[in-house]
Amino acid sequence: MLHGLINWLDKLGPRFYTAFMEADRWKLYLQGLGRTLEMTLVALVMGVILGVVVAVVRAAHDQQRAGRRKNPLLAILNFICKIYTTVIRGTPMMVQLLIWTFVIFPSIRDKILVGIIGLGINSGAYVAEIVRGGLMSVDGGQMEAGRSLGLGYLDTMRFIVVPQAFKNILPSLGNELITLFKDTSLVQAIGGMELVYYASTIGGRTFDYMPPYIGIAVMYLCIVVVLTWLQGKLERRLRQSDRR
Amino acid sequence: MIDVKNLSKSFGNHLVLDNLSQHIYPGEKVVVLGPSGSGKSTFLRCLNLLETPTSGTITFDGTDITDPKCDIDQVRQHMGMVFQHFNLFPNMTIRKNITLAPVRTRRMSQQEADDTATQLLRRVGLEEKADAYPNQLSGGQKQRIAIVRALAMRPKVMLFDEPTSALDPEMVGEVLDVMRQLADEGMTMVVVTHEMGFAREVGSRVLFMDGGHILEENKPQEFFANPKHPRTIEFLSKVL
Repeated sequence: MLHGLINWLDKLGPRFYTAFMEADRWKLYLQGLGRTLEMTLVALVMGVILGVVVAVVRAAHDQQRAGRRKNPLLAILNFICKIYTTVIRGTPMMVQLLIWTFVIFPSIRDKILVGIIGLGINSGAYVAEIVRGGLMSVDGGQMEAGRSLGLGYLDTMRFIVVPQAFKNILPSLGNELITLFKDTSLVQAIGGMELVYYASTIGGRTFDYMPPYIGIAVMYLCIVVVLTWLQGKLERRLRQSDRR
Repeated sequence: MIDVKNLSKSFGNHLVLDNLSQHIYPGEKVVVLGPSGSGKSTFLRCLNLLETPTSGTITFDGTDITDPKCDIDQVRQHMGMVFQHFNLFPNMTIRKNITLAPVRTRRMSQQEADDTATQLLRRVGLEEKADAYPNQLSGGQKQRIAIVRALAMRPKVMLFDEPTSALDPEMVGEVLDVMRQLADEGMTMVVVTHEMGFAREVGSRVLFMDGGHILEENKPQEFFANPKHPRTIEFLSKVL
């Protein structure tokens, strides 16, 4: 028993050496990590743009003056946005990725690109709800005060409501970034060459899966810890300006 | 100046304003009194369409503002409003709070608006607060700034929605002083308040509301000395 443990520990070094150092394999991990981060960033930008548009459409629709004839274009847009968030939030990320790859874009070779599209559109639905929640968290009196001064809806949003909502949105947006970063690992399943893809390839080639998988788990963890730390710092700074 | 005809407002099945008609003349200081839930705030908020009337028409300076085609933003530029909870914009300085609307609506250049702000702030004795943020001010100071913010648009009429109800008793006076000064300068004012002293002293006409109706209206002296409606008598006996 003890002998077995010592033996196992003894081989640990060489196993990790094989998985990371032999044949310059560490370069592959770095390459994979690069793609993972790249996907995260592009998908996040996509998600934020989509999310803000959807949130503004939905908020504008809900805040129309009662009694006045509803804007039909806004009603249609709102309906589309509602379907979008319902479908995306109601189906698994994995299933969405499979549909993007094999049903909608079977001809696109670059699976990373398909992954970005899938992740970005998925993230947009969540960001939309985050932003909408942020907009609603601003006291209704702020909108009323802006409007009572003769400012239009868009001006009031732009100068008064959105800057205040931003503060409430940032922490949740940080969480969304972390989720998105981890969800990029699913892209491996559709053949995207990111971190998990390289880890499993190396595991297959060396007939030893433990070191690469534990290795990338540590990499994901380190990056998430750093992101969380940055998020906390940002929140503290924002709270300071409240006490101004 | 403001003509209200057959104004009704209901929230769901709850009728808050029941077929009111009123006329507010230029230079008048109309004080609206009444118990909470009587519809007085809703009445005031209908005047600049922060609440959309269920039926009836409101005409301001010859424009039917209840007409869906009316550009309400344009109309609101001529009607200042002061809220119970101040509603200053916490994300900008006092100066910016005051100048944002005049500049964005192109009524003034930034320079003009800044000068107007300085001038108005001096009048309420808060000149040195121009670069402070709302959170650094006391309630009374905030409300004085809110009045200045509304005045910066050079409105033709000022609507006050319980402007002193959220203040510490100590700070009520400083806000009422500013309002009194404004009244002396001839501003047309509609004031919803619980300050009986202010109503008596500054008001040119008192409306007493309850249950969505205007039960009594009179000159302040008459109103307080000889209330006629039984509900008014009951109300005054409790608050005075």
